[in-house]
Amino acid sequence: MGTATGIIKALNSGIKHLAIKRFTLRYPEQKLKFVGDGYQFDPSTGVGIAGLKGRHMLFHDHCTGCQLCSIACEGVAEAIGMVKVPEEWKQNKKSIMPQIDYGKCVFCGLCVDACPFYALYMTNDYELSSFSKEGLIYTPAQLQVKPDVSQNSEIQISDRGATHG
Amino acid sequence: MSTPTLPPGLAIQKADERIMTLNVGPQHPGSGHMRIIVQIDGDYIVACDPDPGYVHRGEEKMAEYRNYVLNIPHLERPVIHDSCNILYPYVLGVEELLGLEVSERAKYVRVIASELNRCVYTMYWLAIYGIFLGHSTMFMWPAGDRELLIDLLEKMTGARVTHSYFIPGGIRNDLPANFEDVCLRQVNYFEKRIKEYADIFYDNPILISRTEKTGILTRENAIRLGTTGSVLRASGIDYDVRKKEPYDVYDELDFQTNVLKSGDSYARSKIPWLDMMESCRIIRDALQKMPKSGSVRVKLKPNPKGAIGSVYKRVESGRGALGCYIVSDKKAEPYRVKLSVPSFRNLIALPHLLIGEKLGNMPSVYWSLNYWPVEADR
Repeated sequence: MGTATGIIKALNSGIKHLAIKRFTLRYPEQKLKFVGDGYQFDPSTGVGIAGLKGRHMLFHDHCTGCQLCSIACEGVAEAIGMVKVPEEWKQNKKSIMPQIDYGKCVFCGLCVDACPFYALYMTNDYELSSFSKEGLIYTPAQLQVKPDVSQNSEIQISDRGATHG
Repeated sequence: MSTPTLPPGLAIQKADERIMTLNVGPQHPGSGHMRIIVQIDGDYIVACDPDPGYVHRGEEKMAEYRNYVLNIPHLERPVIHDSCNILYPYVLGVEELLGLEVSERAKYVRVIASELNRCVYTMYWLAIYGIFLGHSTMFMWPAGDRELLIDLLEKMTGARVTHSYFIPGGIRNDLPANFEDVCLRQVNYFEKRIKEYADIFYDNPILISRTEKTGILTRENAIRLGTTGSVLRASGIDYDVRKKEPYDVYDELDFQTNVLKSGDSYARSKIPWLDMMESCRIIRDALQKMPKSGSVRVKLKPNPKGAIGSVYKRVESGRGALGCYIVSDKKAEPYRVKLSVPSFRNLIALPHLLIGEKLGNMPSVYWSLNYWPVEADR
């Protein structure tokens, strides 16, 4: 192939792209939709349930304060510490629950795999930025709150290219 | 006061009338986190000394203090864009040490995840190769099209980059509902997109004139220096671990390896692009042959202990043959984990390729070696 035809072919390929739709996610106006409500784990079968590994969610009525999540995290990120909670639960004699430092967490989800009591799951919330380091430490009371997320963009493919619809 | 003895790389070199020493890196955007010490005579390189080690993280030593499962998140850090493939040999080795049987479905899902990850890595590599050559369109297109596969991996594993998806005994979680259809649609569109790169990049006379006949690695030298992966295949040697020592279900899948004979920068940059099309074929084939249901993960005891012995496993990663050697002494933690990485083996060829080249060709020759600085340092 000659040099001139090669350059014309390359230019032509660029011109053809003028008609193709833009493949850009306009964050934060648009947010990607994820499958499910976040990564979960079923200890009876030992298999996880697919979902985004985002911010954790702690179920106070299931947590026994066994520290297995904290022990799992010691080898990974040391992000989980056990703290005292004011409420009293009958399954949690010591009244201790995990507190997660998102400045250290790597979102591997091995703490969720370690929990045998269905108490710790992950959610679709990934917007955790804060102006201070203290703001990244989530107490058991903050982890109890179900996140409010509005994520609805999905990749759509048509003849004119892929878009985030 | 006596002058301190400096390490060889740091010592001030005696100035010569003609030869000038130039440090490229370690914080230069054109080298990644490593340093290349080049000596130039005018515009021509007369000597070259790559100096890796700037981002050494001690991954192998860290692995001796964590149990077999907790090693997973940190062992994928050396190549976060290819995290499934760098975990693959470790997971295969631990399965042999612990005596775990992996289900057929988990093997197929692993193959799909590792092929998707190979494409994600290659697209990132290609984007940087484009920007090294000053071809900014080739930076934008792969960086955008990579999103199609990152979206698939996010649906599968729950994370965009560091997946922590493979685990001794299978995979962490089963595929989400309706994944097969979404995967097939996006992979088909992805394949259509990468074929369009031929017009603008690979058949572009400007690219060909810059990369053809530069940095030629002959067939003999490629074997002698112990290079691997795309560098080896670009020099005319048909070697792919997926074909030669099939692991998991690669022996049941239909694909071929791509070999080019010229051994120059152009051939080395083209092989990963051709491999991506093979990856698309593998994914389609695996989706078809995969068992539609079944268990995907063996239930592990807490702190599993390996049998006394050692195991060496290797896989074909996005850069070449990646091996992992694990020694177990019947404790919960491995006695030794050694990663044999393709980046380091390919870097050995760099001084041989650069001598006699122009300095302007250095980035294209260097990045065509499919090198990832953090992986070489580990």
